[in-house]
Amino acid sequence: MMPLSMVASGETVRLIAVRGGRGICFRLAELGLVPGATFQVIQGSGQGPLILAFGETRLALGRGMAHKIYVESFMRGGQECQNN
Amino acid sequence: MAEQTQIRIDYGRDIEREIAHLQESIAQHTSLVSRYPSRWLALSLLMGDEEIHSRVKELVGEKNEILQQVQESVERLRGIYGEELEIVIADRRYGFINGLVREVVERAPGERRTLSDKLDRIVTHRVLGIPIFLVAMWLVFKMTTEIPGPYMDWLDSLISGPVARWLVTLLRFMGLGGSWVESLLVDGVLAGVGGVLVFTPVLFSLYFFLALLEDSGYMARAAFVMDRLMRALGLHGKSFLPMLLGFGCTVPAIYATRTLENQKDRVLTGLLAPMMSCGARLPVYTVFAVAFMGRYAGRFIFALYLLGIIWAILTGLLLRRTLFKAERAAPFILELPPYRLPTLRGILIHIWERSSLFFKKASTIIVAVSIVLWLLLNLPWGVGDPQDSLFGKASSAVAPLLAPAGFGRWEATGALMTGFLAKEVVVGTLSQVYLGEESEPPEASSSILQDLQEIGVGFWEATIETCRELINLIPGVHLGGEGDEQEGEDTALVQALRRDFTPLEAAAFCVFVLLYVPCAVTVAAQRQEYGTRWALFSVLYQVLLAWIMSVLVYQGGKLLHLG
Repeated sequence: MMPLSMVASGETVRLIAVRGGRGICFRLAELGLVPGATFQVIQGSGQGPLILAFGETRLALGRGMAHKIYVESFMRGGQECQNN
Repeated sequence: MAEQTQIRIDYGRDIEREIAHLQESIAQHTSLVSRYPSRWLALSLLMGDEEIHSRVKELVGEKNEILQQVQESVERLRGIYGEELEIVIADRRYGFINGLVREVVERAPGERRTLSDKLDRIVTHRVLGIPIFLVAMWLVFKMTTEIPGPYMDWLDSLISGPVARWLVTLLRFMGLGGSWVESLLVDGVLAGVGGVLVFTPVLFSLYFFLALLEDSGYMARAAFVMDRLMRALGLHGKSFLPMLLGFGCTVPAIYATRTLENQKDRVLTGLLAPMMSCGARLPVYTVFAVAFMGRYAGRFIFALYLLGIIWAILTGLLLRRTLFKAERAAPFILELPPYRLPTLRGILIHIWERSSLFFKKASTIIVAVSIVLWLLLNLPWGVGDPQDSLFGKASSAVAPLLAPAGFGRWEATGALMTGFLAKEVVVGTLSQVYLGEESEPPEASSSILQDLQEIGVGFWEATIETCRELINLIPGVHLGGEGDEQEGEDTALVQALRRDFTPLEAAAFCVFVLLYVPCAVTVAAQRQEYGTRWALFSVLYQVLLAWIMSVLVYQGGKLLHLG
């Protein structure tokens, strides 16, 4: 498990938990980013915002927010979904 | 209501049970049932929608079984699911949406998306992103200041020529020739409104390019690219969109701050957006640039835009360190839609939406201002020198305040005073003040046929001129046409301005126009969005800033012997 901000470009990950306030959790859930959702990081490591590919949707996400989102590598990952 | 086509998502046995339970209680209150669908209300309450909670409190009282029930339901469900209810509900909704999409959407294997992704790799590139953005902005700016020139000349000659002739003919036919009605309509309304309508081509092309940026999907990328820069100012990448819209018109920019999630971000962006020079201010710069800046006209206007941006940045930094201290910008999350080839229809709709706002202003505020202004210029009745009129007296009273900025004369002061209502009327006021008396009633001699021919030929010539300028655009920098076809009101105004202003005063005047309150509608929008106090703060700050900056420009210029 690692913060989304550490994921390299091109990797596909599964969302595990969001360590943030209700506002952030809900905002992400509204867009379909709930625990268990898988998506690809198109533009990742480095500075500035990230770009995620989530189905047909492309999301730009601030780096501060990415620090609070925990993901695991989708290829090797287990099934368990935990939450805060 | 087509009941059978309503979508109903199954949220699972546990949630459905609580919904049904709540619906029963809701059904007891007609005040609720008559306003909201009960299932929707129950769901909103379960999801903790604060606004709905307070509405229910308003309608059925602070203490009632519904809200208590909601709390119990939420507790029970949290026990079952072990996570926040809104996430479970969102999950269900997405499950439903995915199923629906899989059933009804057939797609060619993701071609548009891959092309979109390829474009994004370049446009949102960490290094290339900002240069690309700057080039795009520069092009838009060039196009909006250079293409419309010939059409403006054409419109100007149309209004001061055939239209004025028709109006005079009509009035004479009605037996009102030479009366005060003629003076009101020709010197007042036509001079004022016409002076503003001349600038519609500038606005059309500005709105065209803004629509192009929006509809193609580039606007969202621009927000992405600018996020880091905006963050340095304590702002949000999303704040960039309202700011960019501010170059079109400040009013939609204020309303566009609604897309920001955090109230403080909204207010801060709404305070900075007016400094983005809006389309209505451009005509003022254009007139002065043509009158005083010669071949530096383009650069002069660009410098004004830049000054607005610089002050927005400085103000942002200042406010983040004072009034908005310790307020961190809300997290940035933004959907990047796939790139689309904008449709002509879509662009036209956008242009229409924006320019109809302008026409509404032209037909209401500007007509009203023109009439009131004409009255004030002609009262007490039969006044000879406009300076002795009510308007002249009021402006003269305020003028000394502006003396340190160099243009403390009643004409300039008066134009700025009417400019509080809308920047569109500044040029109109100047033409009314300087030319109202001079403009001799046009001869009503030529036939309609001749007029129509003149209009058609003029339009054709303007189109050719524009094409030539588009080609010119590639290497050179120069604003407007060759200046050889300009005749009528605009040049008359330009001449009058040259008599009355020094170039340095003109520059100080333009700086004032750039920085003070854009228009009354903006203040109203700010009041509606952020409350009276912030609106007042904005007005005071901008007037003060405008005064200080124009004084600095004038006094600084004098020290450097530019005046």
